Amino acid sequence: MSDGIKRRDFLKVLGAGSAGASLVGCSTDDVERLLPYVVPPEEITPGVATWYTSVCRECDAGCGIWVKTREGRAIKVEGNPNHPISRGALCARGHSSLLGLYNPDRFAGPMVREGGELRPISWEEAEAMLAERLQGAGSNVLMLTGSAPGSLGELFDDFVSAVGGTRVEHELLSEAPLREATRIAFGRNVVPAYDMERARMVLSFGADFMETWLSPVEYTRGFGRSGSVDDHGSNKAAMVFLGPRLSLTGQNADEWFPIRPGSEAAVALAMAHVIAREGGDAGPYQPVLEAYTPAVAAELSGVGADEIEDLALRFADQAPAVALGPGLSGHHGNATAANLAVLILNHVAGYVGRTVRVRNADLGAASQSYAEVREATRRMSADGVQVALVHGTNPAYGLPRDAGFVEAFGRVPFKVSFAECMDETAALADLILPDAHALESWGDSNPRPGVYALQQPVMERVPHFDSKQAGDVLLSVAARLGRDLGAATFYDFLRGRWERAYDTSMGSDGFEAFWSTGLKNGVVTIAEVEDQREILRAPDVALTFDLPEFTGGDLEFTLQVHPSSRLGDGTQANRPWLQELPDPVSKITWHSWLEMNRHTGESMGLRNGDVVRVESPHDAVEVPVWLYPGIREDVVALAMGGGHTDYGRFGTGKGVNAMALLPSLVEQPSGALVLQATRVQVTPTGRHRRLATIEGADTQENRPITPAVALAALGHAEADDHAEAEGEHHDELQELQAYGGFVPVATEGRAEDFPLPGSQYGDYDPDENPRWAMAIDLDKCTGCSACAVACQAENNVAWVGEDQVTMGRDHNWIRLERYYETVDATHAGPVDVRHLPMLCQHCGNAPCEPVCPVYASYHTPDGLNGQIYNRCVGTRYCANNCPYKVRVFNWYTYTGEEPAFDGMGYAPEPLNWQYNPDVTVRTNGVMEKCSFCVQRIRETENRARIEDRPVQDGEVVPACQQSCPAEAIVFGNVRDPNSRVARVVENERTYRVLDELINTQPAVHYLKKVTFHEVEAGEH
Amino acid sequence: MATATEQPRGAMTHPDVKSYGQVNQEILKALSRPGKGWWALLALSVAGIGLFFTSWAIQIVKGIGVSGLSSPVGWGVYITTFVFWVGIAHSGTLISAILFLFRAPWRQSVYRMAEAMTVFAVMTAGLFPLIHVGRVWHAYWLIPYPNSRYLWPNFRSPLVWDVFAVTTYFTVSAVFFYLGTIPDMAAARDAATGWRKKFYKMTSLGWRGTDREWHHFSKAYIYLAALATPLVLSVHSVVSWDFAMGIVPGWHATIFAPYFVAGAIFSGVAMVITLAVPLRKIFGWQDYLTVKHFDALSKLILLTSMIVLYAYLTEFFMAWYSAEEPERGVFWNRLFGHYWWATWIMLVCNGLVPVLLWFRRVRHSISALFVISIFINIGMWFERFVIIVTSLSHEYEPFAWGVYRPSMVEMGILIGSFAWFGFWFLLFTRLLPAVAIAELKEVLPLPYRPRPQEGGAD
Repeated sequence: MSDGIKRRDFLKVLGAGSAGASLVGCSTDDVERLLPYVVPPEEITPGVATWYTSVCRECDAGCGIWVKTREGRAIKVEGNPNHPISRGALCARGHSSLLGLYNPDRFAGPMVREGGELRPISWEEAEAMLAERLQGAGSNVLMLTGSAPGSLGELFDDFVSAVGGTRVEHELLSEAPLREATRIAFGRNVVPAYDMERARMVLSFGADFMETWLSPVEYTRGFGRSGSVDDHGSNKAAMVFLGPRLSLTGQNADEWFPIRPGSEAAVALAMAHVIAREGGDAGPYQPVLEAYTPAVAAELSGVGADEIEDLALRFADQAPAVALGPGLSGHHGNATAANLAVLILNHVAGYVGRTVRVRNADLGAASQSYAEVREATRRMSADGVQVALVHGTNPAYGLPRDAGFVEAFGRVPFKVSFAECMDETAALADLILPDAHALESWGDSNPRPGVYALQQPVMERVPHFDSKQAGDVLLSVAARLGRDLGAATFYDFLRGRWERAYDTSMGSDGFEAFWSTGLKNGVVTIAEVEDQREILRAPDVALTFDLPEFTGGDLEFTLQVHPSSRLGDGTQANRPWLQELPDPVSKITWHSWLEMNRHTGESMGLRNGDVVRVESPHDAVEVPVWLYPGIREDVVALAMGGGHTDYGRFGTGKGVNAMALLPSLVEQPSGALVLQATRVQVTPTGRHRRLATIEGADTQENRPITPAVALAALGHAEADDHAEAEGEHHDELQELQAYGGFVPVATEGRAEDFPLPGSQYGDYDPDENPRWAMAIDLDKCTGCSACAVACQAENNVAWVGEDQVTMGRDHNWIRLERYYETVDATHAGPVDVRHLPMLCQHCGNAPCEPVCPVYASYHTPDGLNGQIYNRCVGTRYCANNCPYKVRVFNWYTYTGEEPAFDGMGYAPEPLNWQYNPDVTVRTNGVMEKCSFCVQRIRETENRARIEDRPVQDGEVVPACQQSCPAEAIVFGNVRDPNSRVARVVENERTYRVLDELINTQPAVHYLKKVTFHEVEAGEH
Repeated sequence: MATATEQPRGAMTHPDVKSYGQVNQEILKALSRPGKGWWALLALSVAGIGLFFTSWAIQIVKGIGVSGLSSPVGWGVYITTFVFWVGIAHSGTLISAILFLFRAPWRQSVYRMAEAMTVFAVMTAGLFPLIHVGRVWHAYWLIPYPNSRYLWPNFRSPLVWDVFAVTTYFTVSAVFFYLGTIPDMAAARDAATGWRKKFYKMTSLGWRGTDREWHHFSKAYIYLAALATPLVLSVHSVVSWDFAMGIVPGWHATIFAPYFVAGAIFSGVAMVITLAVPLRKIFGWQDYLTVKHFDALSKLILLTSMIVLYAYLTEFFMAWYSAEEPERGVFWNRLFGHYWWATWIMLVCNGLVPVLLWFRRVRHSISALFVISIFINIGMWFERFVIIVTSLSHEYEPFAWGVYRPSMVEMGILIGSFAWFGFWFLLFTRLLPAVAIAELKEVLPLPYRPRPQEGGAD
């Protein structure tokens, strides 16, 4: 397979049909042999997708991906099923990497600043210029990089030592305190790995493991498996969230301890105290634990001592459990101590080595220290830096203002940026050497011991942009300087490194076979070493476990700055998909908001959307307020990622930069930047804006939209009675409907219910076999919204812009609804927030179908609600008549080269390269909605027909199911009694939204969320 | 000599109209050279039409998004205004056809302008479905026409029924209207000079007033009246099914057809008053449009207002009685939700204001009636707004609730629609006899030449 046509040659031939003309002149020297996953290159057919494995670079979790390419263009990113981290799933940010690849604001080529203006130059000139400046700089070279795991980081280090200088890594979302705490506790400078899947109980001290913490996709899947009931309706692990604000992870918890900011350490130690008292081993920390009784912790945290004691006992009882965190919301002045306290808790309970694995993981983000950045800043201000190279980080945006980075950086005589597109730091640079996008680059990663993944380019570099991978640039510049770094291209460097690391334990067929397998599968896994017993060590630094200091001491609110689950630290702020993805917690798009407790806000006379001035001792921002029951009354929260001043057309001027409010504080001993650092004052400005939100009402208003069932009631007679009562109710309804002349149908969508009674009135053919159906387990679904972005990528769903969303014209085919049931920030207790992915229900008795005057909305013989875009005249009656409100209308052409109005959705070249050629691109005036990925159904059916066999169960996988990290979605033919979906539908938790009320017979079945607390029988 | 009891009924309603000649003269004088006021109004309406088509052109070029419509409120001012104009169109045919068949004594004076109003209102209403659709250039797909792909409209869709109901209604009412004007065109022809004479020559189809012609005319008229009568009930019933056939809470109700028909008559008669009062004033037709006519119209308003109010109350009661949360939610939201003001405007204008008509003094005060009719016009526009918008904004799925704010373009088209209607009505007042001359004469006392011995002369 490895000796076929070179992919690049193939692309050149193929280019005639796709991008032929524009590919000419694009530098391709470094693209070597790329191996598609399933199909050897010689078998590629235009119209048939080719898949390449790679590694996702949107955060440092190191998820393996495979990328669908059609005719040489990457069109969809999916999780690599072979990769042990992602196992086929992917988060919203991962999907959006395509928009980074095709970002129309990427630099067209290298540029140099002359007289304040940037002028394009050739790579030849640019590299010569850099070599010349480096020649004269001596050892005064500073290389500032983001996290650069694997070979790239090694190359950076080699380069810096070859030219003489220092390298500083800077990443805002750093887990340095966790790493430092692990070093203190267990003597190993690593970030532990957590095994959610085995955990019988999960305790999160503010660790947002479903959104941004360490490895969200892996941990969401793990908790999806452990934290939901199994087929027998049992074995559900509880999750308890301890923190001042309910993040999305917190909303998925079963209990919430709304502890005071900074009191994580005290609570964790008090729990350890209780467990140690019952016989746990606290090693050298026994004296520390003596001091932290539940009473002390209760005093510091604001929750009851009894509750802490009870939680500790349950935590010890539910072995193995796991305590996580505190994560970035615990990045306060005593963050290392807090992390250490949680590790002690895990150790005392005996979970280290079982669910907490202290092993070396190459998670880049964890290694940097802000202290080094401060030192570099000091050197720059003291004119101690001649040449500064910046790669993969944007400190001019992401650091607190009084860090003084911008001023210091400005003093450097020659500043080089490797940014792909303009950002705040590149805007200050003298030379811009645009890096290739991650999907166009080579790389590798080692996110876990024994897991080695290769990042390979999945397509030719986008010809609109004359980019070059930073590794190649550095190697070429080093060669100009006469330094030999052992390779001419980064590909050679990487391969050489792998070749050196290879030994026969990794595979007995020699390196060439090993390398091919690595490229093909995207990942090589080597047998794991057994965990050793970890011994808790005495601290070698002074630590305090008490409440940290906050600047602005007497101000009313503690400010929580947290990474956005959509925009991360702001790096993804130029992705329209993510900007328009409703935040999983607030459901707000595009702009920033200040989260404030609902009661506090109401007592201040504030409504959602009232603009407030948030003032810390360091700066002030004005931002609309969003009132939230899930945050303590003395805390306000602001997400990172907004307020870019120079980040392309999609990223600039959206929201406010939370970092502006922070002081430049270093946490000791980890050296991390303190994010939870200050208190703020909040004053109304008297102005108001309509929030760009998709949220209507936040409660179910007594409708059976997302009913739940208590764990205790599962599988019991009581529940059966209830079901029977429901059945009787259904009969009554049937009778009534018969009188009314409606089609009387009582079906639960099971195989034996087909053909549907009454189907003779529609266009449903009772003899056709497939009835495509979906089941969504709400006990697993976390509301992370990865499905919504996956759907957008698969189905060419347009983004529409902030104004349109504000008007209520959000366009996503999947709406993650979020309803509050029990949320109380005043004391510890159960929390119940329901998430429901609402998509077209493909009703058997669809209200949208009869009202369409032109049959644009119609019923296919296999039970889908078809929507024929080019037949639609746009009366919008179908949308009015859809009780689920899942139809979205193209009020303008959101997919054109130009926006209909400023700020509105459009797809400028080359953003439109991302479009899936199997799906129509919609224009002005037509209705659209979820199609159950009909293009995938038809593709599978066609393949089965060619191979003369029936479609197998599980063969058709819609984009949402494919992406779901929690494995909450099942899709298949419900008329096949052996299919997985048909079996899931038999589950006692299964219900269909509103079906009882309006007899729509949806094809989407939901499985009720399971709660630990009692849910009233009638409660919805 | 005729005694009072033997007099034709018209003599009671038009006591001051003395002779056929007087009728010809006084009605046809409206067709003379118009004054500055008329030209000013015409200029205003042409400007409004400019606004109308400019707004529409912006919408076609940019997209339907220039309206304030959104999800979940996919129908708004356009459909509201469509139903409003269809409702207005109602009373014309009611007065001309149904009251003709019932031989109501007072219809002759008002039916011509009511019929004209009907035709122009349907012409206005008919534009709105076109304005409303996302791709107007494909709107003809709603019409069943033979095509090579055998693609037909969906006859289960109420929108297709709408196409038939409105086009049928327009055709029949236009023919009925034209037929009724033929003898008057002839009268105008006989009086006119210049280009007008040529115009009336053509439009009167050579009417000479022979017995034979009158015979055919009256047969045709009665048949058309019989044909138009069911349409009066059907057109607005069908329009109401646009809503009632949907499952939207607040729409899905069996009372919708009678409710809408009553509402349509209510609003249409109010509009007749709104139009008749200025005409009466300007052309000095106090003798023709007497207080008795207005009194009769007021009673019709009073009746229909009570039906409409009863329908409102039934809706609220049924929402409560159904015990269905979405249904209850919609009606609670109507009264106290985001659009509470629209609902209260509707209730006050349509339910409360017409109560004044119980008083004879109010019914006999032309200016009071004019003011009340304006209130009813406003109230009935809001009734449709309330039905459409409050229901859609507050449906089954609470998370998807939303609000709708009309945009400038929608307002431009709403205002422009009145200009479009006004333009045709202004032309009508100067080109056609706004009061039916021939029919009026039927109810006048027979002219007789007094015998010389009884004294007096013409």
